[in-house]
Amino acid sequence: MAQAAISYPTRDEVDFVVVGSGASGGIVARELAAAGHSVVVLEQGPHLQAADFRHDEWAYDFNNELTWGTSKGNPQTFRKTENDVAELRETVCGYAHNVGGSSVHFSGNFWRFRPIDFMEASVRGRIPGTTFSDWPIRYEDLEPYYTRVDWEVGVSGLQGPWDPPRSREYPCPPMPVKGSDVLLERAAKQMGLTAYPAPVAILSQPHNGRPGCIHCGFCNGYGCEVDAKSSSMAAMIPQALASGNCELRTGCTVARVETDDGGRVNEVVYFDGDGVEQAQRTRAAVLCANGAETPRLLLLSESSRFPDGLANSSGKVGKNLMFNGSCSSSGLFEEPVNAWKSIPTTRVVHDYYELDPNLGFYGGGGIDGRHPSRGAPMLFGLLSGARTGTPSWGSEYKRNLAYQFSHIASFDGHTTSLPVESNNITLDPNYTDDFGRAAIRCTYMDHVDDLATMAWFLERTNELMEMAGATNIQGGYPENGQEGNVHLLGTCRMGDDPNESVVDATNRAHDVPNLFMVDGSSLVTGGRGQPTMTIMALAFRTADLINQAAQRNEI
Amino acid sequence: MTRQTLSRRSFLKSTARTAPASVLVLTLPMVLAACREAQQARLDGADFQVLSQEEAAEFDAISARIVPSDDTAGAREAGVIYFIDTVMREGRDREMQALRDGLREFQTQIALSFGAPYFHELNEAEQDTMLGQIEATPFFATVRMLTIAGLLSLPEYGGNRDFIGYQLIGYDSRAAWSAPYGFYDADYMERGE
Repeated sequence: MAQAAISYPTRDEVDFVVVGSGASGGIVARELAAAGHSVVVLEQGPHLQAADFRHDEWAYDFNNELTWGTSKGNPQTFRKTENDVAELRETVCGYAHNVGGSSVHFSGNFWRFRPIDFMEASVRGRIPGTTFSDWPIRYEDLEPYYTRVDWEVGVSGLQGPWDPPRSREYPCPPMPVKGSDVLLERAAKQMGLTAYPAPVAILSQPHNGRPGCIHCGFCNGYGCEVDAKSSSMAAMIPQALASGNCELRTGCTVARVETDDGGRVNEVVYFDGDGVEQAQRTRAAVLCANGAETPRLLLLSESSRFPDGLANSSGKVGKNLMFNGSCSSSGLFEEPVNAWKSIPTTRVVHDYYELDPNLGFYGGGGIDGRHPSRGAPMLFGLLSGARTGTPSWGSEYKRNLAYQFSHIASFDGHTTSLPVESNNITLDPNYTDDFGRAAIRCTYMDHVDDLATMAWFLERTNELMEMAGATNIQGGYPENGQEGNVHLLGTCRMGDDPNESVVDATNRAHDVPNLFMVDGSSLVTGGRGQPTMTIMALAFRTADLINQAAQRNEI
Repeated sequence: MTRQTLSRRSFLKSTARTAPASVLVLTLPMVLAACREAQQARLDGADFQVLSQEEAAEFDAISARIVPSDDTAGAREAGVIYFIDTVMREGRDREMQALRDGLREFQTQIALSFGAPYFHELNEAEQDTMLGQIEATPFFATVRMLTIAGLLSLPEYGGNRDFIGYQLIGYDSRAAWSAPYGFYDADYMERGE
């Protein structure tokens, strides 16, 4: 498509700088630019597009071509508790460094949050040791924006029996069911549960000028080669650029957000693709850098006026990190399942969205059918010898490998994480990146209820496997606590109380009137393990409210 | 299978002692350039670029026990050794050194047991015995990873010749599929569930 190659001088004030072009940044950029504002998007990574992506496990899965870690100049450290010294790890908070961010290589599971997710703390009551809270908004506030994601970004699905109310049907019908999900659906039925079509941000048929999915199988972990996956890169960025008001600067790593004497953002300092420090003057900034990088940037932007980091008078920047929990059971089936074809999952069981409080712990989640290596041959080869009781090399390993790849399916649980202040993102005191920025230090230990929830879901996924007729069933969950994830939630949470939250109910920083944050960091609770749909809906809502405020001259 | 115990991340962790920062970190343009030459080398039957003839014979023999050639083709026919020679190219000095050190240590063990140091000169039973002794080491884990990666990566990296690896596991590398994908969804459609 023809791109209007607008270019803004850094010394001239633009209306908005958007930091990050991922799930939320792409939407915010498109919405603000479409409303006539001048927008500069700063993105660390390159502008890869459909033609750049390949079925190349060695490049993407094993050499982190998309998700840069420590060895690619993005050091991160991890510790379980605040009393430990954090260790350098290859990746802890995983995300993709490219235009579109992780929405390019995600699985595209697009469950909406439900009304309960926004007010669960008051329904369930406080949970000691956590900051479990209601959202400052309700499902009804977000519903119009969920629908905009459905139609403007592109979601395929079918309204299920317990789905929250929607103002408009899905634009695309559900994806064709996979064998792994037929097995899940039949097992669920025997257990009195209901499996129904999974909503996915992948087009089942042409929509908005993009083609339908061709079911190639290299989906989760890979960029879509035909633009059927509804990433920010495919669905939003082209429209942002076509507005003629948006300049996308790639290879730009943001160092600081600067404020003037009045405490308002006036420029965003970054290193350009040549490593040269630049400063873009701006009237306002929207941080969409993800739940690890947004708090890091705020903490890096400390000043005499904001000694604990920008927008951090509450002390909550970086706190309350939530990963979501997970479990997985896999088993072998007599006939070829071929779960390695098509998209990751096509059915979901949501009967356990809210677990019975009488179990003695808080939790809930969903279960879907998958291939245990996401359908990737090499990863499966590496994993398959790890099945208990089977050799990891030699003739028997080879026979198992040959048989299992097509005959295996997994049922995965995706579960809640409680917000806990001691789970957080801080600046590492010992490690810096190539630009001298302090590394992300992640401190995390799953709450005891989160572990109990994962264990409970593992029992269910094992039962479902058995009911499905699987043999050699094996399963597990991170029982010693997770040491990293790609869901990075809650670290600049929304709220009405400036002492307990970082942004208000419109995603504006409590402390800085012309600074907005919208990404995984905004989430007050983490839902049931599929956050991106809600991140995108929040981005539409934030952009809408910013545009309204700008009209009233209230930025 | 838990993500925690079986993820790529934990796999790398288990071999972290071999290559402290991470195992086998490459940049794509460099690898692609190496790939073009590897493909050419296959055609020419040319010398190895990184591996000495002795190292090539040893790693080839080890990979051939990890994925043996029996009633179907194995690591050797898939050209795993060419994959290893490709991905250990330029910039991989530290990892290559770790592999070389590991091999030398292994050969010392072999010499103690059999009087001669070369793995590739042992018979298959002897080879399996020796590998059994080093199964839990980062050296073995790294050679295993390279063997499986060489078996199942894109042929442009030098291995998976003629899609031997893909054929072994029943993976068909097509650009597109349409439903039904397997037995159970075909059955589901037929029954009209």
